[in-house]
Amino acid sequence: MYQYSQADHQLLLERVTQFRDQVERRLKGDLSEEEFKNQRLRNGLYLQLHAYMLRVAVPYGLLSSEQMRTLAHIARRYDRGYGHFSTRQNIQYNWPKLEEVPEILDALAAVEMHAIQTSGNCIRNTTSDPLAGVARDEIADPRPYCELIRQWSTFHPEFNFLPRKFKIAVSGAIHDRAAVAVHDIGLRLVKNDAGELGLEVYVGGGLGRTPMIGKLVRDFLPVHDMLTYMEAILRVYNQLGRRDNLYKARIKILVHETGEEKFRELVEAEWENIKASKLRLRDEDIDAIRAHFKDPEYEDLADFDETFDQHLLTDTDFAKWVDNNLELHKKSGYRVVYLSLKSPDQPPGDVTADQMDSIADLADRYSLGQIRSTHRQNLVLSDVKLTDLYELWQELKNLGLATPNYNHLTDIIACPGMDYCSLATARSLPIAQALTDRFENYDYVNDLGDISLNISGCINACGHHHVANIGILGVNKKGIEVYQLTLGGSAREDAAIGKIIGPAFTADEIVGAVGTVLDVYLQNREDEEEDFLTTYRRIGQAPFKEQLYG
Amino acid sequence: MTYKIYTASLLKEGLVAYLSLRDGEAVWTTDFTNATSTEQVAEETLKLEADRGEQNNIIVGPYTVDVTSEDGRLVPLENRERIRAGGPTIKLPISGKTKQHTQAAA
Repeated sequence: MYQYSQADHQLLLERVTQFRDQVERRLKGDLSEEEFKNQRLRNGLYLQLHAYMLRVAVPYGLLSSEQMRTLAHIARRYDRGYGHFSTRQNIQYNWPKLEEVPEILDALAAVEMHAIQTSGNCIRNTTSDPLAGVARDEIADPRPYCELIRQWSTFHPEFNFLPRKFKIAVSGAIHDRAAVAVHDIGLRLVKNDAGELGLEVYVGGGLGRTPMIGKLVRDFLPVHDMLTYMEAILRVYNQLGRRDNLYKARIKILVHETGEEKFRELVEAEWENIKASKLRLRDEDIDAIRAHFKDPEYEDLADFDETFDQHLLTDTDFAKWVDNNLELHKKSGYRVVYLSLKSPDQPPGDVTADQMDSIADLADRYSLGQIRSTHRQNLVLSDVKLTDLYELWQELKNLGLATPNYNHLTDIIACPGMDYCSLATARSLPIAQALTDRFENYDYVNDLGDISLNISGCINACGHHHVANIGILGVNKKGIEVYQLTLGGSAREDAAIGKIIGPAFTADEIVGAVGTVLDVYLQNREDEEEDFLTTYRRIGQAPFKEQLYG
Repeated sequence: MTYKIYTASLLKEGLVAYLSLRDGEAVWTTDFTNATSTEQVAEETLKLEADRGEQNNIIVGPYTVDVTSEDGRLVPLENRERIRAGGPTIKLPISGKTKQHTQAAA
């Protein structure tokens, strides 16, 4: 993990002191809400439906056990005993008091964490592959590049008041686990024929009311040019992005209205002026950051364990979990473990303070003290020995974190919806829970295979419904919550925006409608190997429509 | 019959609050059932007190909510406001140590 320098620490402490003073002035009335609002948003503090909400940055989803314990402490001491992992790999607290937020920021700063730029029209937390550094299909570790972006973008004076918020994702693997295509800038590490490392640069992806897939503006950018090229993109956006219309202010609209070719020309022209500037990364710059992400001291282990195999044969629940919640590791004898935050007992992404403490302990005991958050609102222990898996699973089961549903139907992404959010037009969490209850049969869910189901409580699409195989969007229709169904989306390397299937369903109907969609898939798939998306792309919308609407 | 009440967020805590006039004195309460409606007091009077609450930094962002009377109790007309008044409609996560801490704090 990246370790803060003295300058990093100093920066954070000064920022907390500054915000403490701003809070005190607000409480005394020296600052009006209008004057204060920008300051609190710059520190990740929103005023939501029921209370303040604090969004804490988890840079590219990486957490130490010590940080996780601090998050637990904050949840317990300053909130209501739980937190919520979001699709930007961050954690949100739903009930902090304004007067205590400086104390929370102090606690965070002590473990090299903060809430800076988790809101506002600036560059937000860069997200990445939760398997970074351990994935078998990795071309290069994306974390050093994420860290370089974090350092470049934090308090960047020129990009602090962009036309709108700006989100970046970086992936270093063949398979996209970071939803790169639906970000303002998406970067994919690739190698050219000469074996040199570079980046595919995608610009103008995004969800919200106008969902778009990012356009490939560069198919190979040497990694040394990453920051100068991003600076050029941001400059073009900062100058030409729409500031007259909130709904047209994202870079995706600029790319769309300018045209891909013209936009590329503008970026390249700007880049010409700065490509040789001090911002160009030197080998030593990259190496210095890479040093923070060196492989841990892995043991030389066999990729086979007799006891593990024995447990697989004798414990069917363990076997189910192994089937669904494990990923191969680049090192023999290790596995990546997904901790499901999608149990039937808690809203998607929610985790209690007690669970956080236990997860920190498990990370220390079984996974070299590290935890990762994923954009699908789960957690990961990335370095678990094969020989420890049975013991770990028993612990996770007791904590309610071993639901064997990773990348399956009930691994639902859901925004907080109208249960928490000021912007929402409908609730998403009760629908997620109803779906989880309805599809609790493991064999049925397992038979469906790899499938994504996402729910948003409004058109802002924080629940990523556009890029789900089955997407649900809650809207308000004459005072009633109704739910639109979209089919055929994907957030992976074959990224696609789902299409609305027809008129919306009521809250009472939507679960049944999803059941109908699944029935159509099962009736039409060629064999058990053909996943939902492949079947949908082969047969189209018509059979689904026919069954849903008659 | 539809009436209006005033709601806002408490500045310090951020919690949802409702304007209640008791013996001519304005109080911002988190209990929706204690809200004073335009059935009891003129809207101008409520507005005046809401503005004062904002100026005195007790509350943030006051606005009116349409309510109706059902079985002698006020009920918000809009779903969003019903959720604001009642809290999240899902079972909130809770665990042992946290429960003990909350009880001790109470």
